[in-house]
Amino acid sequence: MTILQETPVVTRIIGEPRLLSGLDTGRADLQRHLWTHGAQPQLTREAYTELAEAVGLRGRGGAAFPVSLKLADLPANGTEAVVVNGSESEPVSRKDRLLLTLAPHLVLDGAVGIAHGVGASTVIVAVHDAAAAASVRAAISERPDIIDIQVSDTPGRFVAGEARAVLSVLEGGPAVPPGRRVLPTRKGYRRRPTFLSNVETFAQLALLARLGSRQFGTTGLSSEPGTQLLTVDGAVQRPGVIETPTGIPLDTVLQFTGADAGPVLLGGYHGRWLPQTEGVNLSRPDASAGIVLALGSDTCPLGEVHQVAKWLASQSAGQCGPCVFGLAGLVDDFGRILRGDPTGWEDAHRHLGLVPGRGACAHPDGSARFLASALEVFGDDLRQHLETGGCGRVVRGVLPVPGGSW
Amino acid sequence: MNKVEIDWTRCDGHGLCGTLLPDDITLDEWGFPVLRGREITAGEVTNARRAVLACPALALRLSKLHRSVPASHQ
Repeated sequence: MTILQETPVVTRIIGEPRLLSGLDTGRADLQRHLWTHGAQPQLTREAYTELAEAVGLRGRGGAAFPVSLKLADLPANGTEAVVVNGSESEPVSRKDRLLLTLAPHLVLDGAVGIAHGVGASTVIVAVHDAAAAASVRAAISERPDIIDIQVSDTPGRFVAGEARAVLSVLEGGPAVPPGRRVLPTRKGYRRRPTFLSNVETFAQLALLARLGSRQFGTTGLSSEPGTQLLTVDGAVQRPGVIETPTGIPLDTVLQFTGADAGPVLLGGYHGRWLPQTEGVNLSRPDASAGIVLALGSDTCPLGEVHQVAKWLASQSAGQCGPCVFGLAGLVDDFGRILRGDPTGWEDAHRHLGLVPGRGACAHPDGSARFLASALEVFGDDLRQHLETGGCGRVVRGVLPVPGGSW
Repeated sequence: MNKVEIDWTRCDGHGLCGTLLPDDITLDEWGFPVLRGREITAGEVTNARRAVLACPALALRLSKLHRSVPASHQ
């Protein structure tokens, strides 16, 4: 385990607690879970589809795909498994392991409920974090479910968290996305239709089944009501996971967590730097998996981005040429930009055009999006670097980058 | 309508496709194909099929245009 994973997670809530309710004194065992949330009603697949559509529920793993469409895409019969993707491979994100560690029964209720609804006989929880896996195993032993629930350990690389890479691992294959773009709802676990979604999505489904669309919709945006989990990190006094209503202003979150003034990255290392925070509200798809990183003002922004670029390049599965060569090229380009070499800037622009859309997964696309937004938003710093070879600030390592065996 | 697609996990940048289908495929600075992304007209299908068969890595394919849904990081 790395230092990143040993950092204690602090939870806080803005507004009405839902996912995190009843967790004031720590992990909820089955008794406390039932006392807080009540029993899970058994619903049909149609009921789940209608509920998910009524509240506009979107997957919480980053791609923000509508849950109702995913349910509708499954065939009428023959769904093999429900897969809970808890690999949480965004290095800053902590929300999924937090849910699995503190509220495992809420997540399992959602997964088992969907499995009953679609007629799947197996639930698989794919998880990377050891504490989260232990919590889920303990929870399974407490539950009276008829459905078979398995826990599967997945490796911690960035692309290993991609849906199809997770499915590959579950079948004993390598933790890399396959070359063909097939949907898990058509060909998933054991080449059979599979409902796969992120940990938080299942917890939200468990709440939705209990509350119904009307009560679920009493907080948050009208287009996508309810709550969301955010992981806030970087130059903030109180980092950690918070539950907020959907659509909350970013400035409120920054104030609540005591963020230093400065640029903000939304959506993690596949996300975007924001030109300003005023008027930005946090909802999907922009909020992605809910990661908010504050940079502060006393570190070199482009140097920080360069560190992350090196890590992103190291996380390529090494399968696709444009990703391997393109990201390595961009690391070199950003290095030259930092030293004030204008050819670095020219090459970066060309390489940013050659990377997106040219891989088996979205890693090249997301990495290019992150780097392109840095060049846009840090225009002043860019000019300073190109004119004087520096911006007068050192790289403090505000953006966490996992090292070693992660 | 047909379209050329690449399985990026297979492509090793041999570059034959760029020579066989110059109107649809150029090569980037590392030798990997850059698709123009246009449809293959009925008259071009024969050449496109030849290029698919010529690829030493079996990375090229001709597929019907369809709506694709991103499946990453669900």
